[in-house]
Amino acid sequence: MALPVQERWDLVDAIARKTVTAGIYRQNLGDVLGDLTVRPLTGIAVAVAVLYAFWSIFSSFAGTLVTDGFMVKAFDDYWLPWLQEVWPDPASIHYFLFVGDPLAENCFEAFGMLTSGLFVSIGVVLPAVLIFYLMMTILEDSGYLPRLAVLMDTVFHRIGLHGYAIVPTILGLGCNVPAVTATRVLETRKQRFIMMTLLAIFIPCGAQLGVMLEVIPDAVGWVMLFLLFGFGIFGFVLDRIIPGSNPEILIDVPPYHWPLWKNVAKKLVNRTKSFLKDAVPFVLFGVLAVNVLYLAGVIGALADLFEPLFVTWFGVPKETVGPLIAAFLRKDLAVAQLSAIAMTPYQMITAVVLVSIYFPCVATFVVMLREGWKELAAAVAVLAATVFVYGGLIHAVGILMGVA
Amino acid sequence: MTEPSKTLLMVGNPNVGKSALFNRLTGGDAVVSNYPGTTVDYTKGLLVVSGREYGVIDAPGTYSLEARDAAESVTVRLISENPGAAVLVILDATRVERGLYLALEVIERGRPAVIALNMIDAARDRRIVVDTHMLQKILGVPVVPTSAVTGEGVRDLAEMIRKAQKADIEKVRARADGRFNEPERSGGCAGCGLCGGC
Repeated sequence: MALPVQERWDLVDAIARKTVTAGIYRQNLGDVLGDLTVRPLTGIAVAVAVLYAFWSIFSSFAGTLVTDGFMVKAFDDYWLPWLQEVWPDPASIHYFLFVGDPLAENCFEAFGMLTSGLFVSIGVVLPAVLIFYLMMTILEDSGYLPRLAVLMDTVFHRIGLHGYAIVPTILGLGCNVPAVTATRVLETRKQRFIMMTLLAIFIPCGAQLGVMLEVIPDAVGWVMLFLLFGFGIFGFVLDRIIPGSNPEILIDVPPYHWPLWKNVAKKLVNRTKSFLKDAVPFVLFGVLAVNVLYLAGVIGALADLFEPLFVTWFGVPKETVGPLIAAFLRKDLAVAQLSAIAMTPYQMITAVVLVSIYFPCVATFVVMLREGWKELAAAVAVLAATVFVYGGLIHAVGILMGVA
Repeated sequence: MTEPSKTLLMVGNPNVGKSALFNRLTGGDAVVSNYPGTTVDYTKGLLVVSGREYGVIDAPGTYSLEARDAAESVTVRLISENPGAAVLVILDATRVERGLYLALEVIERGRPAVIALNMIDAARDRRIVVDTHMLQKILGVPVVPTSAVTGEGVRDLAEMIRKAQKADIEKVRARADGRFNEPERSGGCAGCGLCGGC
């Protein structure tokens, strides 16, 4: 039999009175820090510092130290020339598929399965994902995320969400797949739909960030800015047009504690394992698929078909159709592919933003489908409209600034 | 010889250490973090203790059995889909009241329950003392203090799972009022109804 809610609480009180005694408690350092990091005045400063630190460690470790310092040299000076030398028959189809361009001098341009495919997945994305997850784990395990949620609450309410939406958002910067599932912490269908749609469209994943750092280091800031604006603008619009409520929540803020190294290590190992198992084959397969489509003339035909849209409306070369196809498989691959196309810097920014906001990768697509096909269909519709409108808008901004 | 496997459902408020305890009990790989809402889907694992085999399910955290979001409804669904399961209710020893609410709901549904008083180390640091024996006496189900982080009490908890008990909420209420003299298992009572108490 079930008690009425009030009686149940009365009973809880009665039991607690008989069993729980609290002694005198002195605040410790963690509690003081805990307070400081949720108060707006100090908290926002801390949040900016934390996010800045996150980004600069991410870019200097993944981009500068590991990829530029080691991987690029290993792949471009040894692996690529060696493959080009030993792989027979440079004019053959298998050479094109696996090694790529026989004259290429670096692994981005070659675009064979064993050159670009391996370089992108192991040389660029693996270090990026590793360091990203290491830092994300520290954020997760220390207890900082709920505090960030408290701070961001007001901002997120403007786009139909509440502070806790920061959790799927940050998870999404690692990988959109767990982020889509994490939207379950939001209460209403409206919130979940807005969150999932914004995730799929505007949140680039860690793999993509890693490649962006490598191929367009100077323009990453611009791309992120456009994505952030898009997140805000389209969230604001979606909040106005989608029916449903956005309740206030009580956020349960746990005390800070030191991340346990065992737990951090375990998460890192598991996440890296699933990256190697799930993502790497996709990158390799993606390169192969794109090469086959290219050989079959499909990409050329699509490029001609979409030329008016791409050239006139988005202001990017028609060759970017190829990467957009690859983007469905893996966004990191698509960005890598863009780097081999001759473009002005602004066209490159536009193209990378388009790759980001265009269709979610197939893995994200599948989890979204699992969360509900109606939501997925609606998200895809929003996405198509967004790509069209926002792509044109970015082009227009470029024209106004005189750079497009 | 192991008996046919039983189901053990782990429920509790968000961020009380269910997944950490689950990993301790089953050697599993559930993701553990320090924020409410880490687990939004369930994870299954296997626990073998003193010849018994349990299929353990780590459910998403919930504040009550009236689901508030999609993650909580996963837990509510798991409870109704596993009517034969024993329920391990995990309480945060530093915030006992909140967890008790959920524990009472589980007891009211007539499920055999065991209670883990997790984060007992954090409670000690905060000078919070929970009278485990009294709590066990009042609730009429086993209560085991644990710390999933250090491993303290986890073995005792595993041993105690087979003692999962159903409890009558009215008797819990009577005992909470200090009336312990119910002739609960006096052996002589055959349910005649004459004493008016049973």
